[in-house]
Amino acid sequence: MIEQTITPPTERAIGQLKINPTLVLLMAFVLMCLIFSLFAPGFFSINNLKTISNTVAEVGITAVGMTLVLVTAGVDLSVGSTAALAGVVTSLLWPNVLPIWPAVLCGLLSGLLVGLFNGLVITRLRINPLITTLATYSAVRGIAFIITGPQDNQLGDPSFEWLGRGNVAGIPASLIIMLVLFAVFYFILRSTRFGRNLYAIGGSREAARLAGIKINVHLLIAYGVCGLLSAFAGLISAAQLGAGRPQAATGLEFTVIAAVVLGGTSLAGGKGSLLGTLIGVVLLRTLDNGLVLLNISSYYQDVARGAVLLLTVGIDQLRLRLEKAAAARNQT
Amino acid sequence: MFKTHAFKTLTAISLLVSSTALWIASPAATLSAQGSCPTAKSHYKIGFANLAAGIDFTTLVQQGIVANAKTAGVDLVLANNNLDGATALNNAQNFVTQGVDGVIEFQTDEAFGNVIMNLFQSQTPQIPVIAIDIPMPGATFFGANNYKAGRMAGEAAGDYANAHWAGKVDYILSLELPQSGPIPAARMQGQIEGVQAKLKTPVAADHILHLDSKNTQDVAFKVVSDALSKIPPDANIIGVEINDDTAQGTAAAIEAVQRTGKAIIVGQGAVPSGQAEMVKPNSLYLGATGYFPEKYGDKIIPAMLDLLNCKPVPPAIYVDHVFITKDNLCQVYPDGDACKTLQGKATAVATAAATASS
Repeated sequence: MIEQTITPPTERAIGQLKINPTLVLLMAFVLMCLIFSLFAPGFFSINNLKTISNTVAEVGITAVGMTLVLVTAGVDLSVGSTAALAGVVTSLLWPNVLPIWPAVLCGLLSGLLVGLFNGLVITRLRINPLITTLATYSAVRGIAFIITGPQDNQLGDPSFEWLGRGNVAGIPASLIIMLVLFAVFYFILRSTRFGRNLYAIGGSREAARLAGIKINVHLLIAYGVCGLLSAFAGLISAAQLGAGRPQAATGLEFTVIAAVVLGGTSLAGGKGSLLGTLIGVVLLRTLDNGLVLLNISSYYQDVARGAVLLLTVGIDQLRLRLEKAAAARNQT
Repeated sequence: MFKTHAFKTLTAISLLVSSTALWIASPAATLSAQGSCPTAKSHYKIGFANLAAGIDFTTLVQQGIVANAKTAGVDLVLANNNLDGATALNNAQNFVTQGVDGVIEFQTDEAFGNVIMNLFQSQTPQIPVIAIDIPMPGATFFGANNYKAGRMAGEAAGDYANAHWAGKVDYILSLELPQSGPIPAARMQGQIEGVQAKLKTPVAADHILHLDSKNTQDVAFKVVSDALSKIPPDANIIGVEINDDTAQGTAAAIEAVQRTGKAIIVGQGAVPSGQAEMVKPNSLYLGATGYFPEKYGDKIIPAMLDLLNCKPVPPAIYVDHVFITKDNLCQVYPDGDACKTLQGKATAVATAAATASS
């Protein structure tokens, strides 16, 4: 067994750079907040901070799992469907079949199973992650529709609703849960061998294999965790809305991928950080919120979201090119 | 000679008359009469492209159409437009490939209406189309009288505001679906104008917040959560909704910030999930204009058969609307789950009162 001492590429990059990319993103976020504070009525208020905090968890929790997967040079397009399935499974089991928390556990389990299925197909059948998860994106949503039928899927248990609507010392419970998950997985990615191995797999699968990393096991865990967290996010959304619905979380995958990429995670794998993802998630949610407060048409909101993504990633790419050029000049 | 000629002529005439009589009585005569109605047949195959799967409203529409088609002995080809114009066009092409005689279209994207109709009208014979809720040029419209339905809900909300808030309404949240064009917009306009008509002091135009709900609970929840940030906590709010789903999202957003005492919601549809929302304890959902999607099939299938048999059909067939609240729910839907919930509560209250008095 070859001992791994791989440092996450983002950290390496940060060490060499004069400008921290996460700091750039943070500055963009602060600038955006300043603009909204000046022009959007009600933006700079405690109430609005609560609103953003209360509605960020679904994308945030899913983004944690997506970061793990993207770091390995994979992708998971089935997260939205998985989130919907978890809500549907839970709402079908509660209250007639199971009490609320065992039903919730079954909902989570459904997400874990979808994630593990993705991982198995990708690692054992060696089918491209994009194709695999595109298939499950469609199939899982279909299953959610099939099993729910025309039934009404209310999820009105007060203890469950607390997940989506409860507060701890005035802070939304869903936000606290999301931040705890970010902290736990931040530690796992940065400070455990498993986390470093994920970066190594994404950086160069061949090198990782030669280094003795069990690639299939790592990928299976990454996709399993992604499915589990998607299900959890879906349940938080179901708790907020008081219902499990098969059409829930439509388009979640694209919002989540946008947030993670905005946070600096490379679609090519091997690079990314959960701190960046967190800022990306909050930035996108704040952008949506500010645009609604400005009474801007939803069509322009879609354009603005795309423009911010392109601009931020574009600036980051430009910065990397400039730095490479500078490094090349220094060598000569 | 003359006799022979006269006999031949008489024979020819009688043959002509008898063969004409036979022709008139024969199936061939029927076919010829149908020549003026090129779509008439003894057995029909009809395509139904539903708006989307998994929405209560569309599920009930589909169930009604399937049941009526079965009763009428019509073959039904089903498709899902998945709330997407491009998908609707693909489905339309599939219908043509499968040789359907008529099409029932329930699709959301107004911009695709022309393209889809061109496809059906370019066939020989032209394929007759009934468009549900979203009109398509050249198709028979079936569905809501959107403005009237909206107006009924808006006026009910205005009456509530007069009775409980002394007519003081500070904000109207209008949860809309702009992509679907002017007809559903009429539904929203009707609701807003219904509220305004009932108030002594109408709500200022800049306090009517037009929000794109994308027709879903999730999006309604988020955009209402955002919009509430700029509304003072003591403001009286009326939510007017494109459907029951967005009403539920709006209710969840208002409940999440605990502003339930100063808000009510009216909507459109009154499907089972909407009814369930109405009968919740302390529900914000005052009521919804009923569209009776489960009865759509009762009128659509006969209308389609009339179209195929070239019988006259009005260009627009409207649903009979009723504004449904928890007070008249059991009259309209006596067998519904929501009614049973209400009756269960009433029984529980009566039992508790009897126990207390004894």
